[in-house]
Amino acid sequence: MANLSLKHIYKIYDDEVKAVNDFCMDIKDKEFIVFVGPSGCGKSTTLRMIAGLEEITAGELRIDDVIVNDLEPKDRNIAMVFQNYALYPHMSVYENMAFALKTAKVPKNIIEEKVKEAAEILGITQYLERKPKALSGGQRQRVALGRAIVRNPKVFLLDEPLSNLDAKLRAAMRAEISKLHEKLQTTFIYVTHDQVEAMTMGTRIVVMKDGFVQQIDTPKNLFKYPVNIFVAGFIGTPQMNFFDAKITKKDSLVRFELECGANISEEYAEIDKIPIGYMDGQIPVVVGIRPDDVKLDDVAYNEQEWGKADARVTLVESLGGETLIYADMNVKNTSDKHGIVVVKAGADSEIKKDDIIKVAIKKSNLYFFDKETQLNIKPRIPKENILDCVIKNGRLYFGKQELKLPPVFENLKSGECKIAVPPEAVVLGEGRAKAKISSAEVIEDKVLYRLEILNNDENFNGAPLFALELGKQCFDEGEKIVFDIDFSKVSIKEQNIEPIEKTNVLKCTFVKKRGDKKKYKFYFDIENQLLKADEAICEKLFASKGTQIFDIPLEMVFMPDSIEAEKYVSDGLDSIAGKVTDVFDYGMKCFAKVRVGSSDIIIMHKCEIGEKLSIRFNEKGFNVKDKTKDIIIV
Amino acid sequence: MKKSKLQKKSIAGQLILTALAILWIIPLIYLVIQSFRGEPGAWSPTFFPQEWTLDNYKRLFLETNFPSWYLNTFIIALVSCLITTVFVLAVSYVFSRMKFRARKPLMNVMLILGMFPGFMSMSAVYFLLKILLPNNYQSMASLIIVYSAGAALSYYIAKGFFDTVPKSLDEAARIDGASRARIFWKIILPLSKSIIIYTILISFIAPWCDFIFVSFIMSGVPDTSKYTVALGMYRWLERESIQQYFTTFCAAAVIVATPITLLFMWLQKYYVEGITGGAVKG
Repeated sequence: MANLSLKHIYKIYDDEVKAVNDFCMDIKDKEFIVFVGPSGCGKSTTLRMIAGLEEITAGELRIDDVIVNDLEPKDRNIAMVFQNYALYPHMSVYENMAFALKTAKVPKNIIEEKVKEAAEILGITQYLERKPKALSGGQRQRVALGRAIVRNPKVFLLDEPLSNLDAKLRAAMRAEISKLHEKLQTTFIYVTHDQVEAMTMGTRIVVMKDGFVQQIDTPKNLFKYPVNIFVAGFIGTPQMNFFDAKITKKDSLVRFELECGANISEEYAEIDKIPIGYMDGQIPVVVGIRPDDVKLDDVAYNEQEWGKADARVTLVESLGGETLIYADMNVKNTSDKHGIVVVKAGADSEIKKDDIIKVAIKKSNLYFFDKETQLNIKPRIPKENILDCVIKNGRLYFGKQELKLPPVFENLKSGECKIAVPPEAVVLGEGRAKAKISSAEVIEDKVLYRLEILNNDENFNGAPLFALELGKQCFDEGEKIVFDIDFSKVSIKEQNIEPIEKTNVLKCTFVKKRGDKKKYKFYFDIENQLLKADEAICEKLFASKGTQIFDIPLEMVFMPDSIEAEKYVSDGLDSIAGKVTDVFDYGMKCFAKVRVGSSDIIIMHKCEIGEKLSIRFNEKGFNVKDKTKDIIIV
Repeated sequence: MKKSKLQKKSIAGQLILTALAILWIIPLIYLVIQSFRGEPGAWSPTFFPQEWTLDNYKRLFLETNFPSWYLNTFIIALVSCLITTVFVLAVSYVFSRMKFRARKPLMNVMLILGMFPGFMSMSAVYFLLKILLPNNYQSMASLIIVYSAGAALSYYIAKGFFDTVPKSLDEAARIDGASRARIFWKIILPLSKSIIIYTILISFIAPWCDFIFVSFIMSGVPDTSKYTVALGMYRWLERESIQQYFTTFCAAAVIVATPITLLFMWLQKYYVEGITGGAVKG
């Protein structure tokens, strides 16, 4: 029964190989978390770091709000089940299960009670006197689980526990472990390379690749909303079909031109979450479709929901219950690219190699990825809205609706431009810009509204305006609202305007100074200004690098809203001084550019140019980065 | 039917091995036979004695210091064997499991040091003993120190064995709350029977048969009852006593060889396992 929190966890071997990179996650009590990924992705290493068998190079691991980085495995109150079971071969099943309790000097009668209880849960009571050698793989696995259960741990760690079992037993044990989780009501962390295990058992899944976390989500969301091509391909069997393609939009119709020659058309309204920039037929994209959503077109599926294509069969795999048909959509050899699609057909399918088949593809279940970045371009929450607009006289016009530009944008050139507005920058306003809520979608604990800007003329590109959480109020579909835009978050390419809020970086070093009573005190030296480092931070810095920490260049990384500024009074060790060189008034918020030594930082503060400020960091608002290795230490 | 090449080869091999076996066993048989020879003297004209007797054995136990030598040797071998075994196993385990900065350099230094014959350090050992046991450096205690102090240098085979014991056992025990020492004694050692026996055998035989260090450390001790078998028996082979003691020497040799031979025959299964354990599974 425990919460876990992993903050910027790194594992670096031999000073260069990064096995785990910046692993951040909060695990709630009673969750069943599965780490999944191909071998060598760092999932086992992460688990072993949680167990305490592997040192954490940098980062912070908490179990129930206690930092456990430096605790021995036994003091972390965890139990672990190993891939090879790691049963003590010279001890009987009973002794194996009792070992931990004996070590902890628990009275004999209690040991017996607990072992019996665990044995009962797992159904191994009759084997208690046997040696592990005399047990089958499944029974050994149960003993390993039993050994973990008797300790009553806060967290259960399982490292590929089923990979040594045969397929049938694996399926049975899978169900049993899930049941066990229900019965014990503790936090489980489970490592596997098998996506079926991950999908069936996890309440949340962490997909990893090359030491990086790709996505953390529920099985359903991973399946439906993969963040990138890797996750889309990794989750689901048979694997998703991918096709290189280009997207073109003409009026309200969008065409996906697959490079293998096939074409699918779709209403724009159905896929308006894809940024409109992708629809000019220039940017290469990858279209994905799961085999379950491709059918043989034998019952004449309706054209509105299904895209049709011809394909030549290249391989037929009969699985008994169903048949997998691999077919190439490049039927006429019009292109040198193949477009292999996997179709599931019935068991009695009589399709042979080289047959030409008609396939129907479910349009609403297509996935879209940017070919270069590999990222999903149709995520649940769009990254930004791109709107055609006109700037005139300090006002911004969407079609006929208008917004007043904040003082900082007063000098923008008039003319047409495209403005990128992230959904969270759309807020309720008091001006004249009106929109109708055309739909509302609940995503996790947030609501995503699709707004239709009212009274548009032909010049407007018709893209919807997505807004995330319009204040605390809830709106129904069809309601009309007055909206405004938080201009500090928008970008306008034509005018070189970028969101002002970005991560600030200050170069610094860690130094010690002898204080009174000859005791050392530790500071950050930021551009020749000293900033006192509090004890917890010093501890972390020393823990990661020892005394070498004084020699390496560091970076202080923080967001504009995580620091406080006030009028400069005098030099102090708990703040650094800076001079305001520029101010930006965004109406709702004010920002200032402040010069600290030779670097500029952006802070959120209302002030005037030339003013001198004291800048204070609040404790948790900043990270310290090791510049040489690019690791976040604090 | 023609015999295959492989069979021919193996027959040739068997013949050579038989010949070698006979060659090697002749001195042994000769030694045993001589110990039962009735005629005195160092040399006899016949392979088999004309007169068979048990007198040599009687004389050995009743008229010479042999029983006390035997006891001395046994105590020394036993004690240093125990110390050595613990040293070797503990050091090997540490090198196999723990990661510390000096691990690699230490292992290399120890390996290289172990390649030098031990008696090269003799004069240094002598002075060290004189410092360590100023009044008593010609004693059993100093011999035990000499035999067991450098034992850890031969960590290599045992480490090879421990490397084959899955590390996940240690890890499981660590998670179960066991200390390093408890893991070593309760988990790893019970699984290492063969390597323990191998180490015991090796570390028992070395002091049991050693001559060089004894002769060096105990030389000049007037009380011959403090000798070990190797040193005492060697005295019998000196020019002035060989005629008188040769058959007794043979009898003593048989008595000395018997326990190790029996030990070896009894434990040879483990011995082979221990020596090859690392190689096969590794």
